[in-house]
Amino acid sequence: MIRFGHIIIATAVVVNLCAVVSGRHGLPARENTAKIAAPQRFPPPEFESGYDLPPSPAAPHPRQSIYEYIDVAVLLAALILASYLVLKMRSRRAIFVLMVFSLVYFGFWRKGCVCPIGAIQNIVLSIFDRDYAVPITVSAFFLLPLIFTLFFGRVFCSAVCPLGAIQDLVLLRPVSVPDWLASGLRVFAYLYLGLAVLFAATGSAFLICRYDPFVSFFRLSGNLNILIIGACFLVVGLFIGRPYCRFFCPYGVILRQLSRLSRWRVTITPDECIGCRLCEDACPFGAIRKPADEWSATEYVRGKKTLALLILLLPVLILFCGWAGARFKNVTSRMHSTVRLAERIYLEEAGEVEGTTDASLAFRATGREVKDLYEEASGVRGQFAIGGWLLGGFMGLVIGVKLTAVSVWRQRTDYEADRAGCLACGRCFKHCPRERLRLSKKDKAIS
Amino acid sequence: MKSPDNNTSGDVQAVSAWHRSAVATALVGAVFSVIVLALIVGNYIRGRVHETRWEKKLENLRIEISNQPDDEQALLEEIRRLDLEFRRAMFRVLDFSRTGSYLLLASLSVFVIGIKWAGTFKEKMPAPQPQQGAASEQIRQAMLARWSVAAALGLAGAVMLFLAIGPRIDFRATDAAADSYPTPEKISRNWHRFRGPEGAGISADVNMPESWDGKSGKGILWKTKVPVAGHNSPVVWGDRLFLSGGDPNRLNVFCFDALSGELLWTGDVKRAPLKPNEEPVEVMEDTGWAAPTVTTDGKRVFAIFVTGDLACFDFSGRSFWSKNLGTPDNVYGYASSLEMYRNLLLIQYDQGDTESEKSKLIALDGFSGRVVWQAKRPVANSWSTPIVARTDSGPQIITAADPWVIAYEPNSGAEIWRAECLAGDVAPTPIYANGLTFVIEPYSKTVAIRTDGKGDVTKTHIAWSLDEPAPDICSPIGNGEFVFILNSDGLALCFKAADGEKLWEEDIGEGRDSFLASPSLVGDKLYLLTEKGIMIIAEVLPKYNELARCELGEECCASPAFVDGRIYIRGVENLYCIGKEETTQEP
Amino acid sequence: MAENKNDISRRNLLRNGFFGTCLAGLGGLAGLLAGRLGKTRTLWQIDPNICIACGNCATRCVLEESAVKCTHDFEICGYCEICFGFFEPEPYDITEGAENQSCPTGAIKRKYIEDPYYEYTIDESLCIGCGKCVKGCMTFGNGALFLQVRHDRCLNCNECSIAAACPSGAFKRVPAERPYILKKVGHA
Repeated sequence: MIRFGHIIIATAVVVNLCAVVSGRHGLPARENTAKIAAPQRFPPPEFESGYDLPPSPAAPHPRQSIYEYIDVAVLLAALILASYLVLKMRSRRAIFVLMVFSLVYFGFWRKGCVCPIGAIQNIVLSIFDRDYAVPITVSAFFLLPLIFTLFFGRVFCSAVCPLGAIQDLVLLRPVSVPDWLASGLRVFAYLYLGLAVLFAATGSAFLICRYDPFVSFFRLSGNLNILIIGACFLVVGLFIGRPYCRFFCPYGVILRQLSRLSRWRVTITPDECIGCRLCEDACPFGAIRKPADEWSATEYVRGKKTLALLILLLPVLILFCGWAGARFKNVTSRMHSTVRLAERIYLEEAGEVEGTTDASLAFRATGREVKDLYEEASGVRGQFAIGGWLLGGFMGLVIGVKLTAVSVWRQRTDYEADRAGCLACGRCFKHCPRERLRLSKKDKAIS
Repeated sequence: MKSPDNNTSGDVQAVSAWHRSAVATALVGAVFSVIVLALIVGNYIRGRVHETRWEKKLENLRIEISNQPDDEQALLEEIRRLDLEFRRAMFRVLDFSRTGSYLLLASLSVFVIGIKWAGTFKEKMPAPQPQQGAASEQIRQAMLARWSVAAALGLAGAVMLFLAIGPRIDFRATDAAADSYPTPEKISRNWHRFRGPEGAGISADVNMPESWDGKSGKGILWKTKVPVAGHNSPVVWGDRLFLSGGDPNRLNVFCFDALSGELLWTGDVKRAPLKPNEEPVEVMEDTGWAAPTVTTDGKRVFAIFVTGDLACFDFSGRSFWSKNLGTPDNVYGYASSLEMYRNLLLIQYDQGDTESEKSKLIALDGFSGRVVWQAKRPVANSWSTPIVARTDSGPQIITAADPWVIAYEPNSGAEIWRAECLAGDVAPTPIYANGLTFVIEPYSKTVAIRTDGKGDVTKTHIAWSLDEPAPDICSPIGNGEFVFILNSDGLALCFKAADGEKLWEEDIGEGRDSFLASPSLVGDKLYLLTEKGIMIIAEVLPKYNELARCELGEECCASPAFVDGRIYIRGVENLYCIGKEETTQEP
Repeated sequence: MAENKNDISRRNLLRNGFFGTCLAGLGGLAGLLAGRLGKTRTLWQIDPNICIACGNCATRCVLEESAVKCTHDFEICGYCEICFGFFEPEPYDITEGAENQSCPTGAIKRKYIEDPYYEYTIDESLCIGCGKCVKGCMTFGNGALFLQVRHDRCLNCNECSIAAACPSGAFKRVPAERPYILKKVGHA
């Protein structure tokens, strides 16, 4: 079996290499061309006193590129270390220290930008807009955590993500959220991901960055509304473990799915579960699955019927949500500045609003035809109609699969960490008597 | 920090001491954080409140200073003191919030460290709850989960529905009428400015009435009194007719129904208040308060007055915007009419003398009134109206003034060519035909300039220049074959357009008639309106041949408008619509 | 029992298959991205030819003191005695008094050079990027004053919050080697 896995890994690596090599001849980044001569209403002076013009504008240099590569290196190192700490060392304290380091480095030092969560949008935009070039560092930030998750579970969430870290730090009195509520709330994360992809693909906005609740704390300044949202998340986070990560994080949605397949993952017990129930309340994120027996015969039949119904419902849901998504194109497309401008101009032209906005004034100053703008806006709306079908279909699929998944009965004999939901924080390790035994053995071995 | 593992051996005293200090640390951090947070919020609010209050205060002081010139020095001191204080306060607020946020971060860290530390001493022993009926519990959970997922979907749908409330805007449903400016075809079917399309004075419809009589009312479709006088000419778009009027008490734009003559609405133009030390405008009676003719883009109408007040109304009479360009420094009073190019409203704002550098050509966005570009002009005050000529090399704004005739690129305002050929008080509007533009120096000169030049074309592109008697008010007319000019006293001359050869000269006025209105051309017939209101209809080629004289019975200064088989003439008091009887029945 | 084992191995096979697919998918994505990789990093910058000096730069930046500041290109400057950037639209008097200045922070210094020329320099530490002077110079003067993102201050956010609020779409990403878009001198 291991051999089989290795073959798969090897194939994937080869595919990767081929793809990377073949992709070398990419489009160059867009050139910076803005060379319209400024109108010179007053002739520049000819000084009789021989006065020399001061040097033209000072242009302070940006942060050097090398630091961006250092960021990637730090990310890689942190991921490797986190994997080691979670899977091999099994030390909550070490994980905690690394988490604080990540919070300080990626959060407060690097001001929370670039982050893998926001990088989703860059990646999506680069797929849909051929002219948009993704910097290599952004690609690395997006891909590295995914790869690590695929192999080692959500070690990125546990100790590398600064957004997770700040929430983990403030968690004081965990209150457990019932599973049924959690699965309902998690729908919003999928919706958030879907919308973010839709807006990024159409070049409208980077939704995730715009509403990143914690980045304002890292920068120690920011939009007041976002600060308030962030503060709310933190206050809620005092009692509910990592609310953003669990119910809203769009990157978390991807990580959940990859984590389901991960090669190695967190186990509560270092060797075998003795069913002592001591870990039952250990997880503040509700990611410990209890052992479960078989259903009784009547319940089994009823459950099977429900399941069949829900599976039949899946295509209906996909189609319905897709249709609804496309119907809402006029709402969703408002996120695009061209559509917003066109709607404003339309209302102004029709005399339904008074006055002008800066944007409509700027548009009118360009002398572009309104018809062209309308055409462009209609085109964007068309994109949103297609995007609406896809987003709606995706949401339908998510809802359908979720409904099915919660209705499936899984038999379990041991206490285990939920493959998707486990954030690999390591809190449960010490709850396990087997782990205590392992540690004392290790202590003895050392002494 | 001491590991709690080492403290599990029953050293309760030590543990509780450590625990107490950890809790105390957390408490101190928390209290400090709350204080800092409160200070930051206070600082933020104070900054916001101060900003608006200071701004208002400064504004008031600035107004006061123009009202109380006696206290000038004290007020100035006060403004400067306040301004300095405000700037200091602003940077203080900035500094405070910066240090405050660092302090907050530090104190919060202390709090978190303290609380986590305290937490290590109070590890809760796992205490599993008694197990419930696992199977039924799981089934309940599954059902609740299904409902909560469905509820989440429902909530998202409800939010989307809420956002969808509002007008549905369908861009595709809008037709060409939604264009922000009319097509040249549309313009050519209307009379959108002084002397109609391109300011040429040429009627697009050649089927115009040729006889009427104001006394008997024959041929007069309607007659309406204009509430306020003005020397400007009527402009017509579709079934609307616009003109303006003004006197010392009011400046108005009027909209009439072109079919019935009914006054549809009156637009009041607010006059800009005078600046301190500014003298009120003195208006000569010959010019009046409303000499410049209005213009329209088919959706909005624009009017400028002798005071430099400019206003825009939509077709329903709602004021769109208004602005004041500053009182023009003009010896007889500002009289240049307005012109449109696409969305741009063009204003030839010539003032002062050639040295004063006050003259400019201004292009405003018609919709917003925003200045899109303006070009300084090295010319003296003039009364001529710019035209946008559609030359072979693209559209050109052609302007005539003393001493330069200058052509501009309409989109950018960049100068294309200029020729130094005029002097005196230039009032006639240039015309363009067949690659030549014709301009007039009052009393003395008619000049033809080729429009394909670049830069200073004085020496290279003047096709011909004739020192013959020339009008001081009436603009020329021509169709590319000939150029006809009409002096105020009735002396008319006709030249060959290509080389300036004089075709004929005729005294039309015969000592009785004088002319203020510019001549118009319908087909190959001239329509010349005398000051007494007599329309002389005459053949122009091969020689002058008077065909008819139609009396209106009222004195006229304005040039008539020719649209769709009707002639609109503004007398000094009334507005007339003249048509053939059979055309009165049209819908 | 045998059936159960069979079940587990089937599940493992499925899981491995998915795992491989995901890995290959990530690889494919990496390849695709490699094809689109920017040769360089990009930074936010304002195109001064599109900027309308609306004033959002001063208020919309995530930094309390905006990363956008005013730049003065002396080669374009007309050294006007009455600078439309320095003075209020209708100054009370042509002096450096606070009542006449358009700059809310007094960041512009006016210096006499020779008749009739004055030089205007910007104290960048005081500039808040409000663009009041830019508007004046743009509308009536040569346009020598214009707003630029100062890269020693800019955090290079993934989505620039000023760009999101920019009414004329003047913000764009430029390669890091040429991080400023300066106006070209246009002698009429």
